[in-house]
Amino acid sequence: MSTEHTTDHPTPSQYWKIAVVLAVLTAIEVALFYINRELELGPLNAVLLISLALLKFVIVVGWYMHLRFEKSLLSRFFTAGFLLASGCYLVVLSALGIVVIRGG
Amino acid sequence: MSDLAHDAALSDHGEHESTGIENRKLGMWVFLSSEFLFFGALITNYLLYSNRGGFEGVYPSEIYDIPFTSVSSFVLLMSSLTMVLAHNAQSRHDQNGARTWLFATASLGAVFLGGQVFEFTEFIVIYDMTLSTNPAASAFFVLTGFHGAHVAIGVIMLLSLWGMSRRRGGLSDRQGLNLELVGLYWHFVDIIWIVIFTVVYLLSTPPT
Repeated sequence: MSTEHTTDHPTPSQYWKIAVVLAVLTAIEVALFYINRELELGPLNAVLLISLALLKFVIVVGWYMHLRFEKSLLSRFFTAGFLLASGCYLVVLSALGIVVIRGG
Repeated sequence: MSDLAHDAALSDHGEHESTGIENRKLGMWVFLSSEFLFFGALITNYLLYSNRGGFEGVYPSEIYDIPFTSVSSFVLLMSSLTMVLAHNAQSRHDQNGARTWLFATASLGAVFLGGQVFEFTEFIVIYDMTLSTNPAASAFFVLTGFHGAHVAIGVIMLLSLWGMSRRRGGLSDRQGLNLELVGLYWHFVDIIWIVIFTVVYLLSTPPT
C-alpha cells in the first residue's frame, strides 16, 4: 500500500484538527442560512454556501480520502468523473432555464 | 512486458498491476467517480422540480427542519473522522484501535440513518407528504432515499469488517485493503451528503 503514496499520511491529531475545521465550516453554513433569512443576502448567500460546501468537499477528498497523497492517476479519474457530471448536468439545468445560483 | 516492468507491476499483495496501484483500489476510485453521474442526475432532478409550483400538497422546502438536519450532517461528517482513524490504526497494526473506530463509524452511520427514518416518518405522517404527493416530494425522497441506501450499505460493510476482525483477532493486510476501500466508499457517501445538505436543504426556496 505504501508504495503508491507520494508522502506520509496525516497523524491522528491532524485528522482531529481537520474534523474541527469541517465542523466549524458546517456551523458557518448553518449560520449563513439563518443570516440570509434575516438579511436576504441574495445571490451572495448561494455563492458563499456553495464555496463552503466545495471547501469541505476538497478537504474530505484530499485529506480523509488521501487523494492528495496518492498517484496522480487516481486524481485524474476522480476529477474527470466530477467534472463530467458537473458539466453535463449544468448544461441540462441551463438548457431548461433553471438558475443554479439562487438567492435562497 | 519486460521483467523489470513485470516486477514493478507486482504489488505488496502479489497482485498483478500495470499502473502501480492495487487493481481493487483503482476499481473503487473509478466506481466512485461514476457515482457522480448517478447522484448528479438525482440532484439535477431535484433542482428541476423543487420549487416548480402548480402542484397540490406540501413541498419539501416548506417543512425542512434545518437544526435537526444540521445535527445529522454533523454526525455523518464526524463518522468520516472515525473512519479515517480506523484506517490509520489498521496501518499501524493497532487491531483494537481499528476495531473500535470501525464500530464507532458504523454507529454514527446508524444514527444518521435513524435521523433519516425519523425525518421521512415526520414528513409522511405529520405533513402527509409522500413519494407521490408532487414532483418535488418525489425528487426529494428519491435523492435522499438513495443516499440513505448507500449509507445503509456502508454500515453493513463496516459491521462485516468489524465482525471479521473480532472473530479472527484482527485484519490481515489483504483485509486491511478492504478496510481502505470501505473507507473510500464511506468518505464518498459523506461528500455527497455535503453537497445534498447545501443544495437541497440550505439553498431551498419556496415554490413559485
